[in-house]
Amino acid sequence: MNKAFWGLVRKEFIQVFRDRNMLRIVFAVPIIQLLLFGYVVKLDVKNIRMDVYDFDQSRLSREFVNSTSAGEYFLPTPAQIAILDLEANFQDGSRDMALIIPDGFGKGLESHQNVTIGLVADGSDANMTAIGSGYMARMAQKYARDVVNLRMPLEVKYDVLYNPEAESVYFMVPGIVATLLTMVTIMLTSMAIVRERESGTLEQLLVTPISSTTLLFGKVFPFAVLGLFEMTVALVVGVLWFDIPFVGSPVLLFGLSALYLLTTLGLGLFFSTVTSTQQQAMFFAWFFSVFAILTSGFFTPVWNMPKWLQYVTYVNPMRFFMNIVRGIMMKGAGVTHLLPDIYTLAIFGVIVFGFSAARFSKRAR
Amino acid sequence: MSFVSVQGLGKSYRGVRAVNDFTFDVRQGEVYALVGPDGAGKSTVIRTLCGLIDSDTGEASINGFDCRKQFNHIKPILGYMPQVFSLYPDLTVTENLAFYGGIYGVVGPEYLERVEYLYRFSNLKPFADRRAQALSGGMKQKLALSCALMHQPKILILDEPTTGVDPLSRRQFWEILLQLKEEGVTIIVSTPYMDEVARADRACFVFRGEKLAEGKPAELPGLFEGTLYYFDGPPTMETIDRLNRLGDIRARRFGGGVHVYLKRGITLDEVTPALSEMGFDIKDFNPIKPDLEDCFIQLMEES
Repeated sequence: MNKAFWGLVRKEFIQVFRDRNMLRIVFAVPIIQLLLFGYVVKLDVKNIRMDVYDFDQSRLSREFVNSTSAGEYFLPTPAQIAILDLEANFQDGSRDMALIIPDGFGKGLESHQNVTIGLVADGSDANMTAIGSGYMARMAQKYARDVVNLRMPLEVKYDVLYNPEAESVYFMVPGIVATLLTMVTIMLTSMAIVRERESGTLEQLLVTPISSTTLLFGKVFPFAVLGLFEMTVALVVGVLWFDIPFVGSPVLLFGLSALYLLTTLGLGLFFSTVTSTQQQAMFFAWFFSVFAILTSGFFTPVWNMPKWLQYVTYVNPMRFFMNIVRGIMMKGAGVTHLLPDIYTLAIFGVIVFGFSAARFSKRAR
Repeated sequence: MSFVSVQGLGKSYRGVRAVNDFTFDVRQGEVYALVGPDGAGKSTVIRTLCGLIDSDTGEASINGFDCRKQFNHIKPILGYMPQVFSLYPDLTVTENLAFYGGIYGVVGPEYLERVEYLYRFSNLKPFADRRAQALSGGMKQKLALSCALMHQPKILILDEPTTGVDPLSRRQFWEILLQLKEEGVTIIVSTPYMDEVARADRACFVFRGEKLAEGKPAELPGLFEGTLYYFDGPPTMETIDRLNRLGDIRARRFGGGVHVYLKRGITLDEVTPALSEMGFDIKDFNPIKPDLEDCFIQLMEES
């Protein structure tokens, strides 16, 4: 049993490291994805194009507008109040935000009263919205404190159009970690098994004394290792390069990732039993991954989805894993906080892996 | 008692009959050939023996164990070489051998000894570090055979091992098989090549899923009925068509000439007038002894 198992594992690794495309998937993909996500997210929040509706037209209001252009975060453009149509410029994509300075802004500041300004953002760009409104809040505070020497805060009232839930940048890396682990393990496992079927080597193995259990574990184990390796790469790059905070326990994260792998490897196994070519397997894995990513809360929070779709997310194991990764990395969640997710993943794992293993063994006999 | 027994095997794929009531026995140490054209059902029989498919009817057993229910008892003594090259093309010769060593539990000194033995007859040692995909067809087959022999099987089942292999390699391959027979290995081999049948102990003609005939290669041509002539003329389509137009004659291109079969009870004298009328010279028709292929073709046409 053991010799055959390690023989399979050894062979699988030789094949992975000999296949240039496989190497690219294993090493380049996580880094490229991280860099892309990381930089796109970082660069997007500079040069926010902003209409300024200045109802006050005072010295202070002009001074404040000028101050917002510091640091290249905002590109303020005076807008004609006569045609106050905020959405027109959002819809053609020429502006990202609109700043509204009410009449009495200057007087209010001078008399040290509580002053409120308005900020409307195009919420279809969630990251820009979240970060841009944060900048504006800080700039308003800074202006009020440093320039006008105001004790009362300068309050910014937000209104985010189109998408009230704005994601934070730090949500991205945990999301990528979960995505990578899901996609890599499902895709590589299903393709590696189907490749053996395509080339007839699986049939050759079936007439040898190797047991179907050994064969099964020998085929999935290497990809569990590769999946965790990818995850490690993503984490290291995320923490060291993008300064993503990692609050919780890495040991817990890896332990629960291993639990989650039971489901993804099971899915890979399952896809390999319903397809007969590597292309088909890849298509299945791809389709499932897209579904899993979109309904996992990676980009759009689950509670922001239509009701019926929220129910659909309950059959998506990645949704629960996403909670776990974000919980551990960002909030330092421990086992007790994550218990419902852990139970759910355990049930998913046992059912999916058990069912697929039975299917695989029945076919492999 | 027979080592391999196949009784009344039947198998259909989506209503199309691949094998029908197929029966044969192979004794221990025998080389048994299944001969027939593509699609005759050879692979179905072989894959049933190797536990890869379940037959609809009938039974197959090896060494007394049922190929369906007790296949686990057969695995340790079985070496199987499928029709398509089924090793890992991206692994080297040694890596493939080592992999099967691991699978069969042949490791350590036992493995090294075994690999030396396998290299000796396959002559693959100079190519030990070459990837399997870069080997020639003949070498690929020898590597596949080596892997199938890793655990010293008692029975070797080969599905068209020499198809697509050059004639020299085919001969070498058969020499290896005969050497294995000397060592006591029972061999079942399928082939579309008639010339390979002569090297088997016994052969079985397979056509459209049926067993047409079975026997020693030297005895099989004796099954030929009627008389056979070699027409020493140009084997053009036109000539063959003209000959076939005579009802009692079957003409077939054979090498550089034409084989002419006269149906049972018909003599050359009886068709001479008709042949002469068509412009053939009767002196060009020389009686010859039928060989395996003539016999097989006749059986095929009558079936």
